Amino acid sequence: MRSLIALSRANLKSFIRDRAALFWTLAFPIIFVLLFGTIFSGGGKLNYNVGWVDEDGSAAAKQLRAGFERTDLVTLHDGSLEAERDSMQRGDIDGIIVVPAGLAQASDPTHAGSPVTVTVYVDPTRTNASQGLVQVANAVTMGANLALSGRPPAIAVQSEILQTQRLSNVSYFVPSILGMALMQLGIFAAIPLVQQREKLILKRLNATPLPRRTLVASNIVVRLVIAAVQTLLIIVIGQRVLGVELIGSALAIAGVVVLGALTFTSIGYLIASFARTEEAANGMTSVVQFPLMFLSGIFFPLEIMPDWLRGVATFLPLTYLGDALRQTMVGGAPFVPLGVDVAVLVGWLAVCFLVSARFFRWQ
Amino acid sequence: MDGVTFDVGAGEIFGLLGPNGAGKTTTMEMLEGLSTPDSGELRVLGLDPTRDAPKIKARIGVQLQTAALFPQLTVAELIELFGTFYPRPIPAAKLLDELDLQEKRNAQTKTLSGGQRQRLSVALALVNDPELVFLDEPTTGLDPAARHSLWQLILRMKDEGRTVLMTTHYMEEAEGLCDRVAIMDHGKILDSGTVDELVHRRFHERTVRFDRIDALGDATLAELPGVSRVAHEDDQVVLHTADVAGTIGALLEAAAAAGTEPANLMIRRATLEDVFLELTGRGLRD
Repeated sequence: MRSLIALSRANLKSFIRDRAALFWTLAFPIIFVLLFGTIFSGGGKLNYNVGWVDEDGSAAAKQLRAGFERTDLVTLHDGSLEAERDSMQRGDIDGIIVVPAGLAQASDPTHAGSPVTVTVYVDPTRTNASQGLVQVANAVTMGANLALSGRPPAIAVQSEILQTQRLSNVSYFVPSILGMALMQLGIFAAIPLVQQREKLILKRLNATPLPRRTLVASNIVVRLVIAAVQTLLIIVIGQRVLGVELIGSALAIAGVVVLGALTFTSIGYLIASFARTEEAANGMTSVVQFPLMFLSGIFFPLEIMPDWLRGVATFLPLTYLGDALRQTMVGGAPFVPLGVDVAVLVGWLAVCFLVSARFFRWQ
Repeated sequence: MDGVTFDVGAGEIFGLLGPNGAGKTTTMEMLEGLSTPDSGELRVLGLDPTRDAPKIKARIGVQLQTAALFPQLTVAELIELFGTFYPRPIPAAKLLDELDLQEKRNAQTKTLSGGQRQRLSVALALVNDPELVFLDEPTTGLDPAARHSLWQLILRMKDEGRTVLMTTHYMEEAEGLCDRVAIMDHGKILDSGTVDELVHRRFHERTVRFDRIDALGDATLAELPGVSRVAHEDDQVVLHTADVAGTIGALLEAAAAAGTEPANLMIRRATLEDVFLELTGRGLRD
């Protein structure tokens, strides 16, 4: 136990003092998160800035305004049509709602004339915002009409926000990038292993009574510690900077993170079992890394992939880690049930571990 | 490896001497429990390395030919780390003092010079206070000062009652340090014993050397008492003789008669180098 702690500390210190390793495992994923977060945050947010042009000014109009605000989906900015048009053209707001004069009369239960028309200005090129805004406007005015009819509603709709495959882009990316970071962390475990073998550090350790299982355990401890730091950083940035809401339990997320780190570390060991030199290990990590990165639904959702690519994706472990992380962190639509994700990852872990145990060379 | 048989007694410095590729390192690694022989019998501290490797490893100290270190750890951190692998380690501070590494204690090992690296490597081999120390070419690549300080360390190990098994391809190192040596080549032990034994087994004669004197030709020198052979090395004449006193007396007279005296006159017995040459037909560094 004493040697396990000492060796883990030594490996961790070596890692921290190796600037390149530190950059690739900690800084790089964070840069990725921030970069993608900034690029995609525009289209995915669930709150629209909307100009509110009240040409009626009655109590009824104020009630309607309150109705919109209650949805929590819009933030209203009062102003004249002229002024709001300008700010929409500048891109400051996503749309404009115009309440015409005459709303008060039309709201009178005894009124029998033609309905008054609330106009919603949207920009159809911004699909998400325009569709969302029209839906919100429809829902709110329908509710208002129902209320005005004076009958208690026969059917009530309790609206709850359920994030499904219509996840905002940022919510999709944060678990993906965590998955990518864990994959890199794990398969890059091959590099220090091969380095230590080439420099005969493993051989020197083997000349001490230190059991090999302690050596392996310490490498795994180090990977898990770094994985924990990565996870915390990515989650904190996701929440604080990008406003991603986590819906899963911390325990479930931690479980998936640990399993993912273990699975990909075992793939790192597999690489170290077959790479004789550091150069070979570097090459092999790239060969493994890039297809995983691009074919596992990390950057592009699996649903938009052509069938044959999706077929490839079903064989890749990162597909299942990404899926499990999305399900536990942000409640994304499952690609497969969580239990299947876990089973596939455990399967990869077991196979890679056994093959490595058979073929790994200490010197 | 073929027919390698030798015994190392407790408390002695035993040297495996041979050129690169002779099988010295392979032999050491089998004894250290790092590799397994196909056949044959090994006993280290009375134990079998193929079965009792962990027990043996706890009681031996190993210095590998290429110093294997964690490049980003400091000297003190590395010694402390290795200490945790053993039940009763020597305190790091004591080893740092003994190996003259105190001022480098906080330096990362990748910044050390060759001599410092080698001393650290020896410190790691001593961290468990071992009974038996394996040193694989400990002085290769060191400058003369660093080599000398390492020799002192090895002699101190013997004073402390440790047994040392070392390899080298430096003849003077084997002659100066080792109580007994075994000469290896092509995976075989050609002969073993003390340096004197090895020499006297083959060479009963000693050599008398001096700078060439033109007036004294080979024919004249061959007539001097005791001389069995006349040879030349560089600008020196080498007389092989069984009667050193007689040969030198006659040589001085002959030189005086020619109006000169022999410059750089030396008497040498045969060396391990000569033994090796005799055994293999080539030099140690060839």
